Amino acid sequence: MTQAIEHLSPDTLSAFIDGELPTGEQEAIERHLAGCHACALRVLSATQLKAATARAGRRYAPPPEALARLTAQLHHQPQATTRIRSIRRMTWVGLAAALLLAVSLIGWRQIHETNSLSAELLDQHLSTLSSGAAPQVISTDRHTVKPWFQGRLPFSFNLPDTQALPPDTTLKGADLTYLKGQPAALLLFTIHKHQVSVFVTQRSAGPNLITLPSARSGFTIHSATTHDLQIVAVSDVNPADLNALVAVLAQVQSSS
Amino acid sequence: MSGGEALLGVPMHIRDSSQREAPENVASITRSADFEQLALPLLPSLYNHASWLTRNHAEAEDLVQETFSKALRAFDSFQESTNFKAWIIRILRNTFLTSRTGIATSRTVFLEDHPHVLDTTDASPTPEDNLIRLDNQGALQRALEQLEPPLREALLLCDVEEVKYKDIALILDIPIGTVMSRISRARRALRQLLQPQLGESQ
Repeated sequence: MTQAIEHLSPDTLSAFIDGELPTGEQEAIERHLAGCHACALRVLSATQLKAATARAGRRYAPPPEALARLTAQLHHQPQATTRIRSIRRMTWVGLAAALLLAVSLIGWRQIHETNSLSAELLDQHLSTLSSGAAPQVISTDRHTVKPWFQGRLPFSFNLPDTQALPPDTTLKGADLTYLKGQPAALLLFTIHKHQVSVFVTQRSAGPNLITLPSARSGFTIHSATTHDLQIVAVSDVNPADLNALVAVLAQVQSSS
Repeated sequence: MSGGEALLGVPMHIRDSSQREAPENVASITRSADFEQLALPLLPSLYNHASWLTRNHAEAEDLVQETFSKALRAFDSFQESTNFKAWIIRILRNTFLTSRTGIATSRTVFLEDHPHVLDTTDASPTPEDNLIRLDNQGALQRALEQLEPPLREALLLCDVEEVKYKDIALILDIPIGTVMSRISRARRALRQLLQPQLGESQ
């Protein structure tokens, strides 16, 4: 029963170029096309229209600001789902942070109007304490954290082994952040349950951290520079412990 | 759920001591990290499609934003084996339909396969089948704008988003045969809209 194929109907032609016909029908049409010049031309033209539609239809790209807002929304979605579970802890942390922020704001206004960088560092540290949002990478393992930054930062850095860290110091996670408009790695540690924010920036491009005060509003700020990186840590832990962490981080940069 | 674990980008040792008291937290965080991984690459597509639906930048952004939050809330009902893109576009579209613009659009009566349009289904090739200019991107965009929204929507899902007919049927909530005829009609309408260009003296 050779059911001789007539010229293709528009619907069939359309489904044919979309590859949506059952195999048998698809093959039958191919045989028809081999002998029917008119239909072969129509298929060619339909394929061209499809390709042109694909180009013309890809018309609206999100403006940069919209893209940034929507991307940020995706990053921060975890908070929405964890809200109920951890609301009590977050309220507590938020309250403490708000108090710290209020106290420290008074302190800043009076004394350090000029040094906005340390303010920014402290601000970011406080916001990681208060927001409760999970960092983008939640991991205690340097082999997870380090590769995550690949392609996200214009530089690379080393992380120490868990055993190489000072006692009771734990890596909790990491985030990408910006300091004075330069990309920076934000590493989150805890030392004796105190939160520590460590910022790693490129030495050439990043802001100069050497002039930073060593303490601000009750928080300790410690920095170190290596051949091409700057490392700065902010925490309310005791200065000696913070110093030990910064020293280990600085040291491991040169050991590769 | 073990299939889900394998897909997660974050290894298992994230369950460190600070999270121990709330394992659900970790699960939902990794689940939404999963969501982020699936949704992020689709952002340009969703925005483009939202713009075609709303014809307005601000509304398109709001629509995508609302889609993301709805989709995340419903993400537990998403089945790994199904097409995520189709799933999220369906949410986008349903969200659009309940918006003010969407309600206004859906008031316009669309005649599925009205007898008049059927008279062009004669199978014999016409010269017009081949005689259209496709080098003019602007003309094609204007033609797309003039298409009836239900035809345009099906065609864009097929040609731009490269969604299969069966998934388009799912997104638009119509039978697969209707998907096929809408796409075919959309293409014929495009050809007709692109025709007069040749006739007009240029």
